Amino acid sequence: MTDHPAELHERRILGTELLWAFGVGVLIAATLSVIVFTALTRDINPPSNVERIDPKTLHLSGEFAEQNLGTTVTADGGVTVRVIATQFMFVPRCIAVPRQRRVTLRFATPDVVHGLLITGTNVNTMVVPGFVAQVHTEFPRSADLLMPCHEYCGLGHSEMWATVQVVPEDDFKPDQDGRVSCAQR
Amino acid sequence: MVSADQPSAGDVPSEAADPVDEAALAAVMRVVPLGAAVLAGSAVALLVIGYLAIYLLVFLARGMVG
Amino acid sequence: MRNAERLCLAHFCVAFAAFLGAAMLGAWQMWVRSPLGANIGTPGQYFMSVTAHGVAMAYVLSTFFIMGFGYFVAVTALGRPLPGKVWAWAAFWMAVLGVVMALVPILLGQASVLFTFYPPLTASPWFYIGLVLVVAGSWVWCVLMLVAMRAWKRENPGQPVPLAMFGTVANAVMWLWTTVGVAVELVFQVIPASFGLVQTVDAGLARTLFSWTLHAIVYFWLIPAYIAFYTMVPRAAGGRLYSDTMGRVTFILFLIYSLPVGMHHLMMDPQHGNGWKFIQVLLTAFVTVPTLLTIFTISASLEIAGRLRGGRGLFGWIAALPWERPTVLAAGLAFVMLGFGGFGGLINMGYGMNAMVHNTSWVTAHFHLIFGGSVVIMYFAIAYEVWPRLAGREHPSPAPLRLQLWLWFLGMMVMTLPWHWLGLQGQWRRVANFNYADPIIAGWGPLVVVSLGGGLVLLASALLFVRNLAVLHRSPVPTLQRPLYALAVHPPQRVPAALNGFGLWNVLVLILMLLAYGYPLAQFVIAPSPAAMVHRVN
Repeated sequence: MTDHPAELHERRILGTELLWAFGVGVLIAATLSVIVFTALTRDINPPSNVERIDPKTLHLSGEFAEQNLGTTVTADGGVTVRVIATQFMFVPRCIAVPRQRRVTLRFATPDVVHGLLITGTNVNTMVVPGFVAQVHTEFPRSADLLMPCHEYCGLGHSEMWATVQVVPEDDFKPDQDGRVSCAQR
Repeated sequence: MVSADQPSAGDVPSEAADPVDEAALAAVMRVVPLGAAVLAGSAVALLVIGYLAIYLLVFLARGMVG
Repeated sequence: MRNAERLCLAHFCVAFAAFLGAAMLGAWQMWVRSPLGANIGTPGQYFMSVTAHGVAMAYVLSTFFIMGFGYFVAVTALGRPLPGKVWAWAAFWMAVLGVVMALVPILLGQASVLFTFYPPLTASPWFYIGLVLVVAGSWVWCVLMLVAMRAWKRENPGQPVPLAMFGTVANAVMWLWTTVGVAVELVFQVIPASFGLVQTVDAGLARTLFSWTLHAIVYFWLIPAYIAFYTMVPRAAGGRLYSDTMGRVTFILFLIYSLPVGMHHLMMDPQHGNGWKFIQVLLTAFVTVPTLLTIFTISASLEIAGRLRGGRGLFGWIAALPWERPTVLAAGLAFVMLGFGGFGGLINMGYGMNAMVHNTSWVTAHFHLIFGGSVVIMYFAIAYEVWPRLAGREHPSPAPLRLQLWLWFLGMMVMTLPWHWLGLQGQWRRVANFNYADPIIAGWGPLVVVSLGGGLVLLASALLFVRNLAVLHRSPVPTLQRPLYALAVHPPQRVPAALNGFGLWNVLVLILMLLAYGYPLAQFVIAPSPAAMVHRVN
């Protein structure tokens, strides 16, 4: 076996590897482009508003004081839900949201790291003490959904969940303060 | 202590060195890596198809989120 | 190999003892959170078990196995005695002390913070100090790997470092970089908090530091399996490694791209903006490349073996492979699990799509399948290949080895595939017991039971694994002399310095880490997040 054919052989091997790498590179780039495209055109992003808040004074006044929690509809029709995550419950335990309208959900915690998701939807966020977690979404269907805490927060973690009532437009009636509560079922 | 009829894992003694015949290797290398490309390529293609399917049919179907 | 044999065996013994204990805990956990075990076990017991299970599998099995395997490679691939054996033994005992020191508070219920220990939940300081000792022991291992390689290079100037050692040292260098994140978090934040020296802790900073370690550590676990793919599987199959060069490229790509991607574990976190998350998603796309290269190169290597054995046509070479050999079987099963596990990983990293799966059973499925499945099955294969050479004995029969590997594969698939589906339904993680009376959760019950079945099969496989090693250790059959490491189709005569060392690549790692983690970490120094109160669990 002279050196020349061996070298050619090795170059052929590396050539096939390069071809393969190019092929998978194209596939990866294509897949990433789909992600970027939907991110830009359909506003699909992870929850990333980077807004600081002091966990030690959450409950005292301001946005997350107890009287402001739950669903609020502002004069311009914007729907905002404010929830506190704490060991071991969400406050309030039930929230009502409208179907097929943009909803902004805002979460804060006075104690440890929590997280939450809403079953059957793309709502998912961590709740880290020191930050307000914010998620915008539209709920496509009316249903009763679960909103569990999904990050270990202590021994009571398994019992920590809230319910979400997605209600059709006709049943989503704010009271005089713009608040909407869960229907009693 | 080894006796001739005791089996051992991994290799039969006659294949202990597993010598690769250079001529056979050269012959085989004319075809390789076609089979590997088809196998690995199919696997990656399935991965990408499955990925796009979940992205479009499950994720996007659940509504915009940001 | 004198004295290094006992060193390797000692590490493997600790690794597999931890593995067996953790497997039993895992099966218990699956039972109590299923409908069948609905009223069994308290949350205190459950989260103690999850902590022990996670620490044992993620920190003890992995680190001790990798160290033991590394010492073996350093001696056998380089053909020279291990330098610094005294240091290696000292590191071993320090790490063992660390395991004991971490285990005691766990078993006393004073460290139920899980293997991720996110502050401000805070455990007994001895838990964290124990983990620090394990990591410190592994740092000694890293240094010894570098020393061994450098000594060999001095004795063999201009020669390519044998691929198995090149991969091992790449892994060691990467581990040194990897552990910086968690070390800083523990030393400067968590341990002071656990001693009561500070009352608050910056949770956003802690999570970010931990994410630095959390992704790269899985590549620390994975690279030894890939070392086996490149340097042992082609030999076991009776063929050649398709490309030694690509092996080196693969290990270098892992070194570079495993680290600046940790933020994809923080995709749902509020302390980082979209831009930084997207940059790390892009880098995560790059870290898929070495795996995609590997599946091609190893498939080609197996194709060589299969065609040498008479396999013809597009797929005939697959059937022609010697599947009765445990190493070959393990590699095939590992690749199947790698396909499924990799698929899950691609979904996880998909930027906004992470919202669909974060902290659901999908994630649990992903890492059990890819680490517990593809990687650990290769740990089994490596142990089955290496232990005979360490103990000087041979397995009496390969059949129980194959059975054990098949059980592991089947159990892992049956356990994790339902978890993927359940995750999409919204089943969330780290739950001691589910309320199966709830209509949504009730629907999950049957799949949870199926998954439990898989877990029990895994437990059987774990017991069989330990049994196989015990039988081997006392086997009357002396070991056959046979080569372990594969030859390449074109064994390299010379390789460029860039493929024979890590100086250049360390610079690149530094640049990428500054790019990816520079501001995300600096922001906590410039403007610390409002601090969270320490919450003790002890």
